[in-house]
Amino acid sequence: MREERLPADWRKLLWVPTGVALVIGLVGFVDRLANGHEGAAYGSYVMWGLWVAMYLFFAGLATGCFFVASADYVFEIRAFRGFGRLCLVPSAAAMLAGLLHIWLDLGHLERIWRVYLQPNFISPMTQVVWLYTAFGLLLAVISWLAFKDVWRPLLGRPYTAEEAQADRRLIKALSILGLLVAFAVSSGVGGLLGIQASKTYWHVGLFPVQFVFFALASGVALMLIVAAFFYRPAEDRGRRQRILVILAQATLALALLKAFFLFADYVQSIYGGEPANVEAIRTVVLGPYPLAFWGLQIFLGIVVPVVILLHPRLSKDGPWLGVAGLLTLIGFVAARLIIVIPAQVVPELEGLRTAFVDERLTFEYFPSLWEWAVTVGIGGLAVALFLLAYQFLLLAPAPAAVPPAPAAGTVPKAPVPAER
Amino acid sequence: MRALAAKASPGRRQFLKAAALGAPALAAGAWVRGLSPPAEAGSTTAAPPVPSLPALEAGTGNVLLRMQAELRRALAKPVAERKWTMVIDLRKCVGCSACTVACIAENNLPPGVVYRPVLEEEIGEYPNVTRRFTPRPCQQCDEPPCVPVCPVGATWTQEDGVVVIDYIKCIGCRYCMAACPYSARYFDFGEYYTDGTPQRQPYEESPSPEYGRSWRRTGPYSSPVGNVRKCQFCLHRINIGMLPACVTTCIGQATFFGDRNDPDSLVNELLASGRAIRLKEELGTKPKVYYLV
Repeated sequence: MREERLPADWRKLLWVPTGVALVIGLVGFVDRLANGHEGAAYGSYVMWGLWVAMYLFFAGLATGCFFVASADYVFEIRAFRGFGRLCLVPSAAAMLAGLLHIWLDLGHLERIWRVYLQPNFISPMTQVVWLYTAFGLLLAVISWLAFKDVWRPLLGRPYTAEEAQADRRLIKALSILGLLVAFAVSSGVGGLLGIQASKTYWHVGLFPVQFVFFALASGVALMLIVAAFFYRPAEDRGRRQRILVILAQATLALALLKAFFLFADYVQSIYGGEPANVEAIRTVVLGPYPLAFWGLQIFLGIVVPVVILLHPRLSKDGPWLGVAGLLTLIGFVAARLIIVIPAQVVPELEGLRTAFVDERLTFEYFPSLWEWAVTVGIGGLAVALFLLAYQFLLLAPAPAAVPPAPAAGTVPKAPVPAER
Repeated sequence: MRALAAKASPGRRQFLKAAALGAPALAAGAWVRGLSPPAEAGSTTAAPPVPSLPALEAGTGNVLLRMQAELRRALAKPVAERKWTMVIDLRKCVGCSACTVACIAENNLPPGVVYRPVLEEEIGEYPNVTRRFTPRPCQQCDEPPCVPVCPVGATWTQEDGVVVIDYIKCIGCRYCMAACPYSARYFDFGEYYTDGTPQRQPYEESPSPEYGRSWRRTGPYSSPVGNVRKCQFCLHRINIGMLPACVTTCIGQATFFGDRNDPDSLVNELLASGRAIRLKEELGTKPKVYYLV
């Protein structure tokens, strides 16, 4: 396996598209605050659009990355030792991106506090919001502990090995709790759609189960990208190879599982013959945007990554594995749109399509430039946060992280951070 | 006026007499409607006082008068003992959409918000062809799928059976819209019909009287902009003894309204005809809007 990493200049180069995305997003964000939802392409029949799909995508990424972190913190798999905190950064960035999307999607974003102070716990949405908040808090505490070796020396206080061990135990306990919450959140997001009996395309019994695997699959794919382009353990270069192999094999297995879920859902629905469900699937497969399904979700998102991951040479090449992870994520973006939109483009009642002519009362949807702008901006923000955290936490200068030499009789100090 | 009445023919005299009696009633109704204190959004028990109006001559064969008398009879009961029900006779509906327009005017609805569209279907092929018109207000379900999914409890079923929304509480997540199997909920995007014309017309900026309050849309953060909205059987009219706007406007008298708990009500008579169906009965939502087929 080649030992290639993204050179420092390349990382700097990443700031160019990230900066452009942030500027575009800022325009969309300001417009959202000033004019509400006027620029949206969704309406009253297709009521959830790109932002809800992206919320599902980023929420899956956040919990998925945490699942990978648990290989280090909970299951203590030797190959993943030290890799956990590299997972925490994209997890937090994705969580923020997901929350921003769903927050901006609210008609009254200033009333979000009501979900906390006046909650209706019967609602799956309330359950997901509360679980998501718990997940975010756990993630913050775990990150605070996991990066203690970086920030403590900055305060001029040494970080001892004993403290590190105690924190490690605490991180493990919190991560077990976090794992359960992450499982519940990712499952709950599936349930949020799945409970809607009148929309048979969503009313899939296995949705809460599938969404856990979708989250895991997207998290593994993202960590494959991170491992391929950003991970370089200083003390054990062989670890990177082992992690790449494990993540690549997991991506392959989960891609096949994802394809199986898709096949089972669609074939069962078509055989079942429920008209609205069949119509929704027809829209996906043959409808106005076949490129999203066949081109992005199936070909780029599953077929190409599977070919790369099965290829004798490419499957051992770090950058190619990163590309496979990236394509898998692109497929996931399309998949999330294909989960959210088609259920809404089939009228609940025959005749609604023509009952009243208004641009908000149509059963067609393609995101507006404004919606794309906000999403691009939020994506840029997530990447920017990752790059900043990578620069200042994971690539922290060695002298700052290394505690002073031990005096006689004191305990040994924590090791130098693993990621370099 | 007296001289005019003396010259008038008997028929005309009768009309003027009725008008003289009716004018104060109309004025009283308008006064009550205009000055009655706004009901607390979210209030389920407080029944506004029923105005003291002259007795209507029920039994004259006028369906509207009969329903209005029944409405006032129901208003005299405690709220929990009423069950507002709507019956729509599809054989009578001519698809004129007067109810749609009346509803928009009554509730001052913006673009994209239509509480009562009329669905049109063409059945059969020439020469055996017909058209069916199905007005679709909120079905006011007894088991509404939209209610339990609201994350902040901003929508619920009142004691009188009407499903309502608290515009101050609603966060605009639109989960209830996704859950409604009749697509009867709408999102207020804060738009105006006359935007893009030389001047936005003042009538569009006049407040909506829904739920007995005055809702003025002044920007993206002023409810009901950014809220989910829906038909509420014109509660602001019902509670002061007036029938819903769609009922009084129906040119074919195809829409009926009344108290299901009143055994003598017209809606109960109609529902006993054996012609009544409900939309998507199989979902178990138990709508309180019935269709006569």
